[in-house]
Amino acid sequence: MRRVLRRVGGALFLLFTAAVVATALGSVNIPLAHVLGILAARLPGLGELIEPGWSPAHEVIVLRVRLPRVLLALVVGGGLSVAGVLFQGSLRNPLADPYVIGVSAGASLGAAVGLLLVIPRGIVGYGFLPLFAFAGAVLATLAVSRLGQRRGRLEPTSVLLAGVALGAFLTAVVSLLMVLRIENLQDVYLWLMGSLSGRTWSHVSMAAPYVFLGLALALWLAKDLNVYLLGEEAAHSLGIDVQRVQRLVLLIGSLMAAACVAVSGVIGFVGLMVPHALRLIVGAEHRRLVFHSLWAGAVFLLLADTLARTVFSPLEIPVGIITAFVGGPFFIYLLKRGSDFHG
Amino acid sequence: MAKLHLAEVTYAYSEEPVVRALTLSLESGRFYGVVGPNGAGKSTLLKLMDGYIRPQQGVVYLNGRDLRSYSLAQLAREIALIPQTSYYFPFTVEEMVLLGRTPFYSRWGAPSARDRRIAQASMEITGVAQLAGRLVSDLSGGERQRVTLARAFAQETKVLLLDEPTNHLDLEHQISTCRLLKERSRQGVTVVAVLHDLNLAASFCDHIFVLDQGRLVQEGQPGEVFTPELIAQVFRVEVPTLRHPLTGRPIIAP
Repeated sequence: MRRVLRRVGGALFLLFTAAVVATALGSVNIPLAHVLGILAARLPGLGELIEPGWSPAHEVIVLRVRLPRVLLALVVGGGLSVAGVLFQGSLRNPLADPYVIGVSAGASLGAAVGLLLVIPRGIVGYGFLPLFAFAGAVLATLAVSRLGQRRGRLEPTSVLLAGVALGAFLTAVVSLLMVLRIENLQDVYLWLMGSLSGRTWSHVSMAAPYVFLGLALALWLAKDLNVYLLGEEAAHSLGIDVQRVQRLVLLIGSLMAAACVAVSGVIGFVGLMVPHALRLIVGAEHRRLVFHSLWAGAVFLLLADTLARTVFSPLEIPVGIITAFVGGPFFIYLLKRGSDFHG
Repeated sequence: MAKLHLAEVTYAYSEEPVVRALTLSLESGRFYGVVGPNGAGKSTLLKLMDGYIRPQQGVVYLNGRDLRSYSLAQLAREIALIPQTSYYFPFTVEEMVLLGRTPFYSRWGAPSARDRRIAQASMEITGVAQLAGRLVSDLSGGERQRVTLARAFAQETKVLLLDEPTNHLDLEHQISTCRLLKERSRQGVTVVAVLHDLNLAASFCDHIFVLDQGRLVQEGQPGEVFTPELIAQVFRVEVPTLRHPLTGRPIIAP
């Protein structure tokens, strides 16, 4: 118990430090002390004791611009990584990622429909974009989990194939829409690459509940997932309701991924790479794996996003480019290593 | 009372039944071998005994009670199954064997000292104790099979079902696995193994079930069952059988 508390404390400290440092960095550098002061001044009780020694402009940058973006990077990075753990576990496939069952393709189509057909006509505002993406992701997930059934049972291979097939189909529809509505092409294109630019507190509050709920459920199901890895029949004989666990895990993973992709676009490789790397380091025990993937994924995406907005400052590059830049070579390394779970 | 009893059990995955009106009884403390050609319904029989699939007709009884009246958690304390295919994720050997204790502690709990003692004892019996800290994904086929066996032993069930436990093992490990299973049965466990190697079945099993096309063709002691006539009828090959000079058990000598 004490060890668990120490680990959780350590992770929280690391996340906090990373968040403060990332908030200080940017086109305008803000001293760390000021960032801490601005944060502390918002705390009830403590706020009155602090003399503001910083400019109001800095306060606006920290509270309105950087902090929501930094927190969103942590939430999305952690969420995608834990979703990756869930998908790799429930499909018993190390190359599965949060998008494998059509989440990203569905979200892309949802976003494309929003950006190309609905929003330009002024029917609803840009604030509704995440809702379009979320709806698309959920619909695609439902379709894939129906298609992935054989004789009423979910089968990992069928789920994977259905996800790939539906993904290709939906991506084709997105491309068709883009060709037909070429005038709004750039919006869709930027969204597809994945970015945390210009995100606000409303994005954080949309994604965070799903990520936290998903995290809690992932920990709740950790023991079942460990046994589930042994294979369906072996897991059944150890008292696990295999189909129930599989459905629950896919559902939770999909909702987490859908919420993340809805607010940030398609950010690749985080959910593939982080769980896989962590499995190599801490092993396949799921309580450990979920916990370590959470903080590592959060820190990784925060790092990538901070690079995305500082390296070519003031020009910003979509964070998806950075994660893929690191992720592509890593993926090849995994393939070379022959990462196959099968006996 | 029979430990396990199947009464007129029929099961079909689609149209054609793979197990047809099968009736058989298994006692405690015996080592049963299930043999038959490919597609005879051997694996399906094990899945029916384990409750993984439910018969469309007939009833499976465990301790005289319909298997369907047991909850999953109760069944996990009664029957352990080692299926044909296993997956090997990067668990340590000890973690893997401790998974056999999962029916005995709660969702948020951890294995107790007793669970760890039982896992340790199982690892010692199967000879993998010195591998405790290694990753199963790094082990050889024979070592993995023994770890899987240790996991099933750690479950401490009165019924142990194994689907081709000696597949892909070399001679030494085939024999040591069968000896371990025989020992286990002598401690009161009902051991049922699907075996492809008729000679292993003949040397170690107390009782043989011969299946063909989902039906029980013959059962009895190895000496009664493994006759050239039966082998010709079921496996469609002509082979002579000899007697082992020391044990008197049959040897199938193609």
